[in-house]
Amino acid sequence: MSISQPTDLEGLSSTERDLLRKSVRELLAKRWPADRAVEAALDGAAVASIWRELAGQGLGALGADTTGLREAMLVFEELGRASCPAPMLGAVAANMTLGHEQSNTAAAFLGDVHRGEARIALALGGFDGDPAAGSMAMRDGALSGRTPFVEGAQTATHFLVLTDGGVAMVTASAPGVAMQATPGLAVPALSELSFTNTPAVHWTMSANRLADIAVVARLACAGRALGAAQRAFEMAVEHAKVRKQFGQLIGQFQAVQHKLADCLTSLDGARLTLESAADARDNGNPDWRFFAAAALAFAGPALREVSIQTHRALGAIGYAEEHEAPRHFRRVHADLARFGGAPRARAELADLVLGPAT
Amino acid sequence: MTTLPAHDMGPAADGFRKEIRAWLAKHWTPEKQAAHLRKPFNERGYDNEFSRLMGRDGWIGLGWPKHFGGQGRSPTEQIAFITEIANAGAPAHAHTTSETIVAQALFQHGAKEQQDEWLPAIKHGERLFALGYSEPEAGSDLAALRTRAVRDGDHWVVNGQKLWSTGADKADHMWLAVRTDPEAKKHAGISVLMVDLRTPGITIRPSMALYGKTFSTHFYDDVRVPAKNMVGAVNTGWKVITDALAAERVMIGGTRMAALERAFDHLTEYLKTAVVGGKALKNDPVIRDRIGALAADLEVARQFQMRNSRLVEQGRVPLHEAAMGKVFASELQERLGQAALDILGTAGLLSEDTPGAPVGGHMEQLLRHSIMGMIGGGTSEIQRNVIAQRGLDLPR
Repeated sequence: MSISQPTDLEGLSSTERDLLRKSVRELLAKRWPADRAVEAALDGAAVASIWRELAGQGLGALGADTTGLREAMLVFEELGRASCPAPMLGAVAANMTLGHEQSNTAAAFLGDVHRGEARIALALGGFDGDPAAGSMAMRDGALSGRTPFVEGAQTATHFLVLTDGGVAMVTASAPGVAMQATPGLAVPALSELSFTNTPAVHWTMSANRLADIAVVARLACAGRALGAAQRAFEMAVEHAKVRKQFGQLIGQFQAVQHKLADCLTSLDGARLTLESAADARDNGNPDWRFFAAAALAFAGPALREVSIQTHRALGAIGYAEEHEAPRHFRRVHADLARFGGAPRARAELADLVLGPAT
Repeated sequence: MTTLPAHDMGPAADGFRKEIRAWLAKHWTPEKQAAHLRKPFNERGYDNEFSRLMGRDGWIGLGWPKHFGGQGRSPTEQIAFITEIANAGAPAHAHTTSETIVAQALFQHGAKEQQDEWLPAIKHGERLFALGYSEPEAGSDLAALRTRAVRDGDHWVVNGQKLWSTGADKADHMWLAVRTDPEAKKHAGISVLMVDLRTPGITIRPSMALYGKTFSTHFYDDVRVPAKNMVGAVNTGWKVITDALAAERVMIGGTRMAALERAFDHLTEYLKTAVVGGKALKNDPVIRDRIGALAADLEVARQFQMRNSRLVEQGRVPLHEAAMGKVFASELQERLGQAALDILGTAGLLSEDTPGAPVGGHMEQLLRHSIMGMIGGGTSEIQRNVIAQRGLDLPR
């Protein structure tokens, strides 16, 4: 088994994390180049291949312990930056839920995840936070229910499904599984899944543990949105340094400078709060859910605004789908709208600050 | 009472907090607090006697290097101190400019004799400075200042006018930026003088600022300042000013942050129990949404402040990072004040002079005060220039 080596990636120092970021970025630049990223994201074989490579770096094992969220967040950021839909979220969720299960089934399944052979799509169902996300339940050892809004389902080998009492693992080819791609702003498309008496392995878990998985999924999406927003922003800054209009660089106009200055403030604010939330969770700080909600409530509107302002700085040049910017626009908006988005995070903060509404 | 969960600042800062609280419990007594609150609003926050008491017991110069008589406390510990003082409502404005800006400049640019004479006095809560920077034609463009100093024997003779100096009517010394070479390029002809405000020829005319405290116009007519009171070499004042400003921004940020957290605490404590028109305010979904957004923004402001502290602790000078923290926190104060008026309605207009005003009548003052944060120490627009040009390297 190769499980022991990858866990070495958890609890790194900040210098070690910088090195990890560098190596992930280099790998993605080489194997998931920007000029082919959009096309490759729709190609199941390409997704399977990049996931094996990333898992080969030990990234598929992150999240197995109560540490490692900082490192996982860094990977999500890099995936967002590279527009790479590698099934990292499914892996982290699997490690979080099954990392401590003693059964051979769990161990064998996680082994496949860590080797990059299993690609997991995560369905949060009743824990999604979106009231339209459906729900799933186990009855007589089989899974039933439907859920829209599942990412990575088309290229997944397994579905990890949160039920009302635990987590179910379903093989993608199992009987009673129906899947429908639902195209929209998100590329690759989200999918709707339905299960009808589908055979599944089920582990019982407390609602609190399941809810925490949803928090991590939200942080992961915000991390990807941050990476995408940051990358598009960097392109806008470079553009402002070379593009001339009215005989001067547009980056000399104060209207452009202040716009980009505000974007940098938003990006830094989102990164600092997301890192702080992951740190708090890794350090066992019981307030980590507050810090997570704060990061999500800020990142939602802030990163969207960065994405919009980035496009305004790029002008029509960045409006063509063949430019790199549109994919980042899609990623930022798609990831920030999911799982209840910023309104849910604000509601959670109000609960924590004012107490629940009575 | 704190609404936002505390960040773990490490055992050193947490232990230090206990020491500060014990001292405050002994010296910032309920009697003193009541007497302080009986003073007019304009005078609150300033208490020369309390500054001297703090100086006597070693609470001034916490962050100064030990070889200058300080305690060498980390920025994290200094922020813990600022927060505790703010939470207790203890008056520490009188010596703040001397402790942070003047002392900082003396460390870097002061002559040995100046350091030996002025630093101990500042540390003891004496020599309370105000800043003499802005002029009628020199606001954001500070280097355009024209107040003139001409050498005459062992003195500089100063003539000119300064504006908007907070606390000048309560201070005994002025940290005065003057032009010593009118022929040089504008940044190259500036020097800094420490001026005793009792010197003949000085007129100080306070006016009331929107937030309820004074700032002053001051006039200099043939004011003779001893040449030994110039800090740094003649015509190098621009560097003296900017070096001190960079380090000072972090500490000012700490003060603002503590005030913001306190204001948010007051507002949320009120909302937990307030019933208006038969409805509990805390159940209003619009209010809850607004409070949630503000809580997140406060956390972001705290993160900016902590990053600045980390940078200082690593021996780096936060520049665009400090600008970011200032823009964000000062504009957050404006949002918080506006949200409070929306939430409280007309009752939010009532000040602390109206008995029974909700949230102690503090919210309308918070809003009036927010303007100062967005202007003083470099406007939000200037800060955005710094972020764009220094943080993003955009062309000038």
